[in-house]
Amino acid sequence: MALFWILGVVILWGLIIYTLQIVAVRLALSPTRNREGHPILSQSYPPISVIKPLKGLEDNLFGNLESFCGQDYPEYEVIFSLQDENDPAYKVVRKVKEKFADKPISIIIERCHHGFNPKVNNLLSAYRHSKYPTILISDSNVMVDPYYLRTIVKPMDNPQVGLVCNLIRGIGGKTIGSIFENLHLNSFILGNICFLDKYLRIPCVVGKSMLMRKSDLEALGGLASVKDVLAEDHFIGEKIRGQNQRVVISNYLINNVNEYWNLRKFINRHVRWGKMRWKIGGMKYLLELTINPVFTACLPLLLWGPTEKTLSLLALVCLIKIIGDFYLGRSISTPMHPLVYLLSPMKDLLIGLIWFLPFADDTVVWRGNRYMMAKDTRLYPCPESGKWKYRIMEGIKAKLAW
Amino acid sequence: MLLCDFHIHTTYSDGSVELRRTVDLFGQAGFDVIAITDHVVNGDNSFGKLARKFKYSLREDTFDDYMAHIREEAERAWDRYGLMVIPGVEITRNAFTSDQSAHFLLIDIKEFIPATWSYEKIFYEAKKQDALIIACHPHQTSDLTFIDTLFFWKNRDRYSRYIDAWEIANRDDVFNVVSLKKYPYIAGSDFHKIRHLYSWKSLLNCKKDMESIKQCIRSNWGVAITLFRN
Repeated sequence: MALFWILGVVILWGLIIYTLQIVAVRLALSPTRNREGHPILSQSYPPISVIKPLKGLEDNLFGNLESFCGQDYPEYEVIFSLQDENDPAYKVVRKVKEKFADKPISIIIERCHHGFNPKVNNLLSAYRHSKYPTILISDSNVMVDPYYLRTIVKPMDNPQVGLVCNLIRGIGGKTIGSIFENLHLNSFILGNICFLDKYLRIPCVVGKSMLMRKSDLEALGGLASVKDVLAEDHFIGEKIRGQNQRVVISNYLINNVNEYWNLRKFINRHVRWGKMRWKIGGMKYLLELTINPVFTACLPLLLWGPTEKTLSLLALVCLIKIIGDFYLGRSISTPMHPLVYLLSPMKDLLIGLIWFLPFADDTVVWRGNRYMMAKDTRLYPCPESGKWKYRIMEGIKAKLAW
Repeated sequence: MLLCDFHIHTTYSDGSVELRRTVDLFGQAGFDVIAITDHVVNGDNSFGKLARKFKYSLREDTFDDYMAHIREEAERAWDRYGLMVIPGVEITRNAFTSDQSAHFLLIDIKEFIPATWSYEKIFYEAKKQDALIIACHPHQTSDLTFIDTLFFWKNRDRYSRYIDAWEIANRDDVFNVVSLKKYPYIAGSDFHKIRHLYSWKSLLNCKKDMESIKQCIRSNWGVAITLFRN
C-alpha cells in the first residue's frame, strides 16, 4: 500500500510540473505584437547570412526552403549547403533558386570531413562562404512566415545577447509517427524548454534556429569547436553563456513540419535525443521519467493489475494529459484535429519506454552514420564490421572518460 | 534532365493519397513532370465489376471531374513548384490469367476511353487524341499479390507498333527483356502509397513542355532511368 502512495506522490509531482510547464508556455508566449496587432520589431536590421544545411528530402522541403527566400527583411542572403550533388535535396534547392532568381541565394556543394558531426561538416563550408557578420543557422525542416527575421533579430539590439533561438511548434502530422512527433514537440519539448527558461533560467538551445554574431561564434572557437559533438546546438549555447553573454529564447514560434514520419523514425529520434540528454544531463536525466505522469500512472496497473483504483487513476491522468495537451496545442495555434489529442497518452507511454534505452547502448545512428557517444555527446566512429567487440572496448573507454 | 514519374494513382481509383497531396508530395520532392494515371477498369468480368463497385475505377461519369481537378492542380503545381502535371489513365484489363491481363497508360488523354473496347480501337482513339501509349509492368513482377500483366509481352509482335514506350522499371522491379528487345522505355513508380515515392523514375533530356516530352519518349532519345532514393 505504501508503494501505491509513493507512486501517487510521483504522479502528483508529474502533474504539478506539467501544470507549471503549461503556465511557462503561456508566459513565454506573452504578446509580441503591439496594440494594433503588428509585431514589435527591432530598431536595427543587421544584414544576415542564413545558412541552411541540407541532407535528403525532409517533409515539405520545397515549402520550408521557400519560406526563407521570401523574407521581408532589408538585407540577407540564403546559403544552402550540401555534401553531395546526388542528394535529392539538390534538385529541390535548385528549383527554389530558380523561383527566387532575384534573391541572393547560393548553393554550396562541398564534401567536408572535418569532424564527426555531419551537420557541422555541412555548416563549415557554408559558413566560409557567408558574407555578413550575423548568421542564422536553420534546419531544413523549419518553415517560417515573412516576418521571421524581423522578429527574431530584435533581441540582438542588446549587445549582451549572444544567441537567439526559438520555440518550436510541430505541424502537419499525416501519419502516426508524425502525429506522435508533433504531439511531443508541442507538449513535452515545448513545455520543458519554457519551464527551464522561465523558472530555472536555463535557456535550452535547439538548433532548428540559432541567430548569432560571427564575432561571438569565433571567440568561442567557431563551429570547428563543436565538430565532434552530437549536441552542437547545446554546446554553442553553453559556450556563449560562458562568455557572459545571454542566450535568449524568442517567443516567435517556428514551424517544424513533420508530415509523413513512420513510428520507427519517431522512436529513432527520441532514442537519440534521450541518449544526448543522458550524456549531457547525467543523473538529471533520471528525473525525466517522473515528469511523465501517464507512464508513472501505468505502473500501479502493472503492479496490482486492473482494479477499480488503478484503472480510475490511469483514466484520470490520461484525461488531464489530453485536456492539457489540447490546451497547449490551442495556445500555440497548431492546426491539429482535436481528436488527435486522444493519442497523447499512447505517445507518452511510448516515450516512457524509450526513456530506458539510453542506458542500454552508447551508439547513435544519425544521417546514415553510426557513432559511439561519450560524455557531453562526444562522437567516436563505430565501424559496422566487428562492431560488438569494438563497441564494448570503446564503451569501456567512454565510461572511463566520464 | 527532367525528373519524371508517369505512373501515379490517387484516390480517384485505388491509390491511398488524394490528388492534391500527391501533387504536393512530388512538388516538394523537386520533380519536374508527373502524370496522374488512375485506373479505367474493364467492367465486363467479375474483377472489373468488383473494381467498379468499390470505386477503384474511373468511369465515364466521373472522368470530367477527374480531368477538371487535374487541370486545376496542374495550374497550382506549375505556379508553386514549376511542376508539370499531365492527365492520364491506366487502362486496366484484368483477366484470370497473367497471359490475358494487360495494363497500359494513356498519357495526355483528353476524352474518356472505355477499357472494354478492343485494343486496336483504344490505340486508334488514343492516337487520335495524341496520347502517349505506355505498356505497364510488361513482365513478371516481384509482387506475389499481383497477377502479372503479360498480354502485351506475349503478343508483342502484334502490338508493339502501337506502343510508344514500355516500362523497363516499375517501382522496385526492372524488366531487362525490354532492354534486350531494344524497345523505347521509361520507368515509373506505380505510385499508390507515400512510400512508393522512392522507386524507379525516368529522366528526360528535353524541354519542359508536352510536345518535347512526347517526342523524347517516342524517339527514346535522351531517356534515362534512375532509382530515386532519399
